[in-house]
Parts: sequence; C-alpha cells; structure tokens
Amino acid sequence: MKNQENEFSPEQSLKLITSMIETTKNSICDNSIYFLLWGWGILIACAVQYYMKAILNNPNNGMAWLIIPVLVVLQIFLVFKRRGKAKVKTFISDASAYLWTAIGFAYLAMAFIFAKTGWEYCSSFYIILYGMGTFVSGQFIKFRPLIIGGIICLPLAIAAVYVDFDSRILILGLSILVSYIIPGHLLRAKYKKQNLVNV
Amino acid sequence: MFKELDPILHSQLRLAVVSLLLSVKEAEFTFIREKTNSTAGNLSVQINKLKEAGYIEVLKQFKDNYPQTICKIAPQGIKAFEAYVKNLQSYLTIKK
Repeated sequence: MKNQENEFSPEQSLKLITSMIETTKNSICDNSIYFLLWGWGILIACAVQYYMKAILNNPNNGMAWLIIPVLVVLQIFLVFKRRGKAKVKTFISDASAYLWTAIGFAYLAMAFIFAKTGWEYCSSFYIILYGMGTFVSGQFIKFRPLIIGGIICLPLAIAAVYVDFDSRILILGLSILVSYIIPGHLLRAKYKKQNLVNV
Repeated sequence: MFKELDPILHSQLRLAVVSLLLSVKEAEFTFIREKTNSTAGNLSVQINKLKEAGYIEVLKQFKDNYPQTICKIAPQGIKAFEAYVKNLQSYLTIKK
C-alpha cells in the first residue's frame, strides 16, 4: 500500500476502513492447543479411571486424576513458550485469557470442596464449567463447534446425576470429547487452512 | 456544510494503520506492515506522523535481543477517527 494523499475519495476511505477492520477479524491467535491438551489429558484420565474401577475393581481408581498436575505443568510451559509470540493483542484474546483463568481457579476451588464433601457428583459440576467456558469462547470467536459443544454439556451434566458412578465417568469423557477435543481439532484445522490461504 | 477531512487521517496508509489499531488492543510493526501490505520505510514514516499527532502510542522494546515496535491507538486518535468518519458520512450523504 502506498501513501496516496491525492485522489483518495470518501468512498475509498470508507472501503479501506471496512477492509482493515475485516482483516483483524481473522487475527485471533490460535489457542486450540490448550483445548487439545486438556481435552486429551482428561479423556485419558477418564479412560484409565473407568478401566481401573469398572474392569479391575481397583479401589485406587482416583489415582487416574494425578494426570491433572502434569497437565498444569504442561499448560504453564506452553503459556511461557508462546508468550510474546503473538504479533497482535486483541480484546477478545484478553477476555478469553481472563475467562479461562477464572474457570481454572474455579476447578481448583471445587477440588478442595469435593475433597471435603465427596466426589460422588463432582462430574456434573465440572461438565457445567467445561460447557460454560467453551460456549463463551465459541461466542467470542464465532466458532460454532465450540458453541454447540458447550450447549451439549448442559444435558450431559444433568444426565450424569441420574446414572451410576461408572457411567458418570463415561459421560465426563463424552463431554470433554464434544466440548474440547472435537472443537479443538476443528479449530486447529481452521487456522491451518487460513494460514494456507494467507500464503 | 462540508468540514475538511483531517489531513493526518486522509491518507491511505495512515488511515489503514489507525483503522487496524482501532480494532485491536495493540499490534507489532511487522503485523501492521503485513496487513497493510506496505514497505517498512514508508510505514515507519507514517507511524511517526501519527505518533507526532498524538493519534497513536509507539513502544519500542527488545524481544529475544531483537528490536520490537508495538503500536497502540491513543484516546486522541479515537476522537480524531470518530470525527473523520462523521465528516466522511456528511460527504457521502450530500453526494447521494
């Protein structure tokens, strides 16, 4: 773009403003890696716990959730590694970061609460939080799979209360599949495609 | 009655930079160059003009031993842009 000062009509000005605003719409940073990290991590934990509880009858099946501290360390590592790499900061990326930080602290607070009251119905509360986060994130970036995944979490959270503990583990796995894993992969594919188009 | 369009904003590249910065929190020089499809030299001159007018804030720092320039819209820039668009609308309305 040259710096044309002459022969620059009001119509051209308006067109330029619109096109620049449109350009930034596609500049939201690709954060699908976090959905995939937590999605696959929790799905593995669900599968391990189900196997230990329903098949092996192992009373220590809760050990499967020791994966969480590992995921937290990986998350911190990724955040530091990617910090400062984004060439642009948008208000949406800030809002998303605040949202997931708040949800992260809510998960932690709930872990303390359930450690005291018992883990019997914990999955419903976790599923509601997953759903809320993905729904709001999806609305921020206008990405339908995240929005749909978030909505599906609500009936799954309710259903989890009406089934036995083993099935509850499977419902938790299903909720993470629809709210994190599938939208995460679709989001990643979308960004990859966009990069290809930009090249 | 026509109001004269702000000469600082009524230039293709400067208007593109301000429009871009309005829709983000802050952006790196390289990002702006990429999106406006401009040359580094020309962009640098226009960014300086916008900075001198108080329309944008420019922060120069080092990242991994490389210089990094970050640009951000200033409150005065938002006001000027709003006035510019308002004047632009009056031009277009009268033309119709």
